[in-house]
Amino acid sequence: MKRTLPQSLALYAGLAVIVLLIGLPFWWVMSGSIKLPREIISRVPTMVPQSFTLQHFEKLLQSTDFPAYLVNSLLVALFSTVFTIALALPTAYAFFRMKFPGRAALYRLILVAYAFPTVVVLIPIYGLFARFGLIDTRASLVIVNIAFALPFSIWMMRSFLASVPRDIEEAAIVDGAPPRVILLRIMAPLIAPGIASVAIFTFIASWTEYLFASVLIVSDARRTIPVGFAGIIGQYQIDWGLLLAGATLATIPVVILFAFVGRWFVTGLTEGAVK
Amino acid sequence: MTNPRLALLFVAPALLFLIAVLGWPLVQAVILSFQNVGVIGTEGEWIGFDNYAAVLGGSNFWRALGRSLLWVVANAIVQTAVALGVALILHQKFPGVRVARTWIILTWIVPTVVVVIIWRWLLSTSGGMVNPLLIQAGIIQRPIGFFATRESAMTTLVLINSWRWFPFVALMMLAGLTRIPSDLYEAARIDGATAWKRFTRITWPLLQPTLMMLGVVGTLLSFNVFDVIWLLTAGGPSQATQTLPVLIYETAFKGYRLSEAATVSVLTSLLLMGFALLATRAMTASEEAR
Repeated sequence: MKRTLPQSLALYAGLAVIVLLIGLPFWWVMSGSIKLPREIISRVPTMVPQSFTLQHFEKLLQSTDFPAYLVNSLLVALFSTVFTIALALPTAYAFFRMKFPGRAALYRLILVAYAFPTVVVLIPIYGLFARFGLIDTRASLVIVNIAFALPFSIWMMRSFLASVPRDIEEAAIVDGAPPRVILLRIMAPLIAPGIASVAIFTFIASWTEYLFASVLIVSDARRTIPVGFAGIIGQYQIDWGLLLAGATLATIPVVILFAFVGRWFVTGLTEGAVK
Repeated sequence: MTNPRLALLFVAPALLFLIAVLGWPLVQAVILSFQNVGVIGTEGEWIGFDNYAAVLGGSNFWRALGRSLLWVVANAIVQTAVALGVALILHQKFPGVRVARTWIILTWIVPTVVVVIIWRWLLSTSGGMVNPLLIQAGIIQRPIGFFATRESAMTTLVLINSWRWFPFVALMMLAGLTRIPSDLYEAARIDGATAWKRFTRITWPLLQPTLMMLGVVGTLLSFNVFDVIWLLTAGGPSQATQTLPVLIYETAFKGYRLSEAATVSVLTSLLLMGFALLATRAMTASEEAR
């Protein structure tokens, strides 16, 4: 169908508003991170940087623990992602492609876990982890991240598994392929977009997790970006250049990741929602 | 495939993991709420329902609950309104629509601390972009401190949190929109229905299941929001933005009253579970009525 001129105008005006609403704040922060301090706090804000400096990035990387936070965040997010996939794939496969007693009840139980306020288990988890010597370890964050990402990940794989024709599996069973082979060699490649969705969801959830990271990690060298960086905010007498540089560096990894698998992630997020 | 033993073997690792990391601590939270533990790691003794009596008899819990309700409702209204407009736009065909549908979620994938820095800076009275813009537009005369008064702090937090979440909601709505058969619109067009009529008679009613689902999921998600509030206002000024999660955190880790915090946690979970149960029941009922 063709749009009339007023309809086209309305559409592009709407699009412009969205782009400004989301893009402008990011543009200001990223362009601000390379401005000289006096331009950052100038009375008349500039849209395009009038000055150029890398001093904020230098200060951030040399005189704060930001590099350590970055490495910790990457480690925690990567391990959380790998383990979540390893746990979610067989579980989702069993839930959505196999029949067994108690399936519906167990599935509901896992969904309930997703609805729970996370702050409720914060206190007992601290106690539990203290008993096992897990306080102030990055492993503690990996464990917590897996637990919170798992229910949603299982749910998200549902529509992807449903789209694989039954015949493929049945042919493999007739050929005598063991279940492990069916799962890893036949199903996994077919639902690669689903696995990618789960991966990026878990990565982002771990990358942005603040509450548990703020309580379970004690020493500065083991902090992840959300908590470490929040500490920098209070530590220095509002050094905006430094904070803008940090915000830029904390954004880049997820943007790179999203550039590769973002399309699949959005599909995974929306497909599961309507079925 | 029917092989119950194998299926259980596949499910077991994830299930045991969730029981150990979420289920068991949940039980512990209930146990804690009947004891009088103060600082983490210390022992407490059984005191029955004393914590519950104290929490329900005091005013902190009820005030925080009121703020949480306000927070959830305000976020729902702002996000639904903005997200619906965005979803309707993204539902159109235009060059670059796929790119737009992917990158719209940018605000949701960056760490909260980045969101916090973005808005702290943009709203700051020295060098922030928002104050000069508002002054230029003639809306305000002098720069205002957005987190300074009780009302403005809450409003600002709701808007910032909505900025973070509206793309997520919009994508969910978009998924609902794409499910509406396009021949319905064709038929309406042939019958000469206006764009407004098509929206009120087709889009809006057929979007109801999606909106209901979002109502439930969105309520649970916004109820749990902690880091944006904590990092921007820490519940202030004078507790004006202290929602239940903030109250729980403060009681446990600033006030060192662990059992009291656990009690508030348990009450909060009961509330949310009750809500989720009622909402899902209402949803299935309306689906059956269709």
